[in-house]
Amino acid sequence: MNLRRILSLAWKDTLHLRHDWWLPAFMLLGGAMELLLIGWATSRPVTNLPLMVLDGDQSRASRTFVSAVMNTGTFVLEDYVRDEVAIREALARGTIYAAVIIPPGYAEQIIRGESTIAVLLNGAESIPATEALRAIEGVSSELGLAIMLERMGLDPQDVEGFLPSLRVWFNESLSEAYYTTPAELGLMMEFTVLLFAALSFSRERELGTLEQLLVMPYSRLELIVGKSIPVIAIGFIDFLLMLGVVHFFFDVPIRGSLFLLLILALGYILVELGKGMVISVVSRTQHQAFLLVLLVGMVDFMFTGYAAPVESMPAILQYLANIVPAQHWLEIVRGIMLKASDLRVLWPQIVALIVLGLFIGTFSFRYVRRALY
Amino acid sequence: MPPESPIIQTFGLTKQFKHVRAVDSLDLAVRPGELFGLIGPDGAGKTTTLRLLAGLLDISDGSATVAGFDLKSRSESIKPLIGYMAQEFSLYGELTVLENLRFFSELYDVSRSERRERTDRLLEFAGLTEFTDRRGKLLSGGMKKKLALACTLIHRPQILLLDEPTTGVDPISRRGFWDILTELHLEGTTILVSTPYMDEADRCTRVGLMFGGQLFACDTPLAIRAGISGDLVALKAADWRRAKSILQDLEGVLEIQLYGDALHVRIDSARKRLPRIKRELRRNGVDYRSLRPAPVRMEEAFLSLMGQREQKS
Amino acid sequence: MAFRHLMAVARKELAHILRDGWTLSLVLFTPLLVLILMAYALSADIQHVPIAVLDRDRSPASRTFVAQITAGDDLELYATVEDLGAVEDLFTRGEIKGALIIAPTFAADVASLKGMPIQIIIDGTEPETGGFAVEQIGRRAAEFANAAIVNQLAGAAGESLQTIDLRVRAWYNPSLEPRVDLIPGLISLVLAFPALSAALTLAREREHGTLEQLLATPIGRGDLLLGKIVPYIIVGLINVILITAVARVWFRVPFNGNFALYFGLSALFMFAALSMGVLVGMFMRTQAAALALSFLLLFFPAFFLTGIFFPIVAMPEIARLEAMGLPGTHYAIITRGVFLPGVGIEVLWPYAVMLIFLGVVFTALAALFFRKKIG
Repeated sequence: MNLRRILSLAWKDTLHLRHDWWLPAFMLLGGAMELLLIGWATSRPVTNLPLMVLDGDQSRASRTFVSAVMNTGTFVLEDYVRDEVAIREALARGTIYAAVIIPPGYAEQIIRGESTIAVLLNGAESIPATEALRAIEGVSSELGLAIMLERMGLDPQDVEGFLPSLRVWFNESLSEAYYTTPAELGLMMEFTVLLFAALSFSRERELGTLEQLLVMPYSRLELIVGKSIPVIAIGFIDFLLMLGVVHFFFDVPIRGSLFLLLILALGYILVELGKGMVISVVSRTQHQAFLLVLLVGMVDFMFTGYAAPVESMPAILQYLANIVPAQHWLEIVRGIMLKASDLRVLWPQIVALIVLGLFIGTFSFRYVRRALY
Repeated sequence: MPPESPIIQTFGLTKQFKHVRAVDSLDLAVRPGELFGLIGPDGAGKTTTLRLLAGLLDISDGSATVAGFDLKSRSESIKPLIGYMAQEFSLYGELTVLENLRFFSELYDVSRSERRERTDRLLEFAGLTEFTDRRGKLLSGGMKKKLALACTLIHRPQILLLDEPTTGVDPISRRGFWDILTELHLEGTTILVSTPYMDEADRCTRVGLMFGGQLFACDTPLAIRAGISGDLVALKAADWRRAKSILQDLEGVLEIQLYGDALHVRIDSARKRLPRIKRELRRNGVDYRSLRPAPVRMEEAFLSLMGQREQKS
Repeated sequence: MAFRHLMAVARKELAHILRDGWTLSLVLFTPLLVLILMAYALSADIQHVPIAVLDRDRSPASRTFVAQITAGDDLELYATVEDLGAVEDLFTRGEIKGALIIAPTFAADVASLKGMPIQIIIDGTEPETGGFAVEQIGRRAAEFANAAIVNQLAGAAGESLQTIDLRVRAWYNPSLEPRVDLIPGLISLVLAFPALSAALTLAREREHGTLEQLLATPIGRGDLLLGKIVPYIIVGLINVILITAVARVWFRVPFNGNFALYFGLSALFMFAALSMGVLVGMFMRTQAAALALSFLLLFFPAFFLTGIFFPIVAMPEIARLEAMGLPGTHYAIITRGVFLPGVGIEVLWPYAVMLIFLGVVFTALAALFFRKKIG
């Protein structure tokens, strides 16, 4: 190990980007900008879902129901229609997510206590359809309760105690940004580190400069360390910028220790770096390296809990999740930022990350060293 | 187009990069059928000139025509007529020799029927017949260059623009390469070739000496060599250092260069100065084996002409 | 336009993919593998959500209540705790997603119809599971309350608290299984991968120096750019067949539309997505640069902004506009439409027109800005 030689190598790699000097800058700033756009676009409640209404009753009661549905804020009224054909067609076209059909005689049915309202959902997009269903169900049970109480001659205040009170911890304002943006940050940072690490040796191999590098008086260790420094630097700056975006633009708090978060970020970057390095030596071209990054990165992404909770995955995938560093990292980010978790709480994740890091690191180092001949 | 009017002509051709002016008001005229050599050291502007003429770079100033087409407005019309060979290997390493040839034959619209015949001929010409299925990246340096030339020739271009085709090629391959160029020249192809090797200049019909983005001499090799003033004598002395220091101060000695074990001394007149030189050497006890008139080499001509140019400016 | 030139470039580009078994298998199977893995991971129903119970009443009524709450597969009684501190601890450790607190007066209040003193706490960092827990607990609590009220109120026997009966029908996906519609959505995501490969091709020529020789030939710009796309269109269409088969046979996603139509529209998507890829990577001198740029401009937007995970109608104006410019947005609609409602061209034509429009615009922009010059 010779620090000066390592730095010169790291410098050469940085210099390599000289012609495209704006590339790292763009990648860093672009990543933060992108997070800004994506976070802004997706960290909001699902609203504006187009809804169709077929009101066969045209009574005060039916209008009350419709306006209660609209008041949830989840929907925009696409149209009032006269028959089901229009709804059928709109569902097929995918222009609406839900339709409410109120049968004729709804007002009378209510008095008899046997009213029926049909809800048609666009199952072709289950996520917004589920949102729509939740909203309509809420309206129906609220109205239903009021109607029943009225009929039984009870005051609504009498049963108020039957509604459970709800408290949300760690996210009192129910900000969607709290859970979307940390995951988006984690994903983008992971891809950045993996990609740059994966290109480090595959680029040299593809362009035939690896040979030249190997005959120079670098030890394998120096070579690997020298190649790693720019990747770590890029990854860490990227993290800082994106953390800034998440904190200042999306108002996600950092309730725990920022210092601990930064230290662990560095550790996580090292783990991903190890993976990227392995990709970079098994690939002969940058194209291959990139495809492998895509594959590995997407697998990791599944376990970040962005699109589906890990608890609900098939058992085998849940076991698999334990060996995915991204999953532990996301727990750490959420824990420190939102739950003020400290070492006392996070030690299982940290230990897991360290164990995985040591394992991946050792394997990667040995593998890369052997591959570099 | 009358045969004597130039097929390649530039007027004040200039290429300004961000920090360097690589080609500086270049005036060049190559007549049809010439084998024209662009000679100069690295960084003289040869590659930029050839790239400009191949339509690969935008012209900063001046103008140029190739085969009667203006480079600024008609650079695409030029492309079917020229064969351009880049300095670095720029064929596809993943493709085999045959596939590379086929690829370029299709881009140059060589008909299917002609392709086979030309491919066979070029492979033989380039001595690659045995290597048709070898991938480009696995060829040796010389073979790569020959394959590149073959790809350049597949459409029988009127004009060949070759950028240092022999750089990094062993001497035997170099000779073979020049034999091919000579043959093409005899068939009537106009060839503009750049080279940093002065000895290759003698195989050209005309050469242009280039430095600092400008052409400072342009003539037949013979005329260029004859154009330098004075006579050249070669001196083989045991102690060449001393011999050099003695001769340096003598009257009429213009330039001294060391070539292998001989000193090449340029003097204003051999007839007038030789006796004195011999005398001085003997007087100082310098042992010399031979002292006789030597032919001027292109390298000496180049250096001397460049020296003259520097004195002028 | 010279078809021969175009095909020569396409054949050469195809050789790059075919020559190396690694590249070939990665190009062919990465989309499929990603799809399979993500489909498994993302399509499961939410279940076994761990909750904790703090029962301060410890009465038979409260025990019945807790048993009723955790009867199903969806909620799992992770721990019964003694105080609020323990609940907080479990939350912080991320071991539970929800908690149910039962007040000491539970049995008495319910019996006297005073109310049901319970509190639900959820982990706001994971609203997906938290919201789910609230919903399930709330629903069962209501049932419990319903039964209690009905029992107590004389003359109201057989009544239901729920007077409005919602008849819910989810079309095309009756049980609203995420699997059924997420897989078609993911198809449009993974089929965008070839576009990332296409973004590399011109940068590769530049990096390897082969562009210099290529630009000295009479090839037209359009032919060069389209020639780069053709092999990846082929790769993409092979992927369409593979992926559709896997979705249909393996994941049992219904395919109600016309496959020939889908194949044709997929070709349009490939054309649009790949021209976008070529345009994005066109000016980069190195593949690393082209890759970085295409991740930012192609991959992440395709991931988040094409309406697969988050509906486009709910996005802000600017993001919606950007989504309209992404071929994947239109293709996701087409894919879902063909798979589930099984609609035909009479419904899908606007999206097909958009894909053609985007493809032509991207190709035209690429041809306009691409100059046959080096440096």
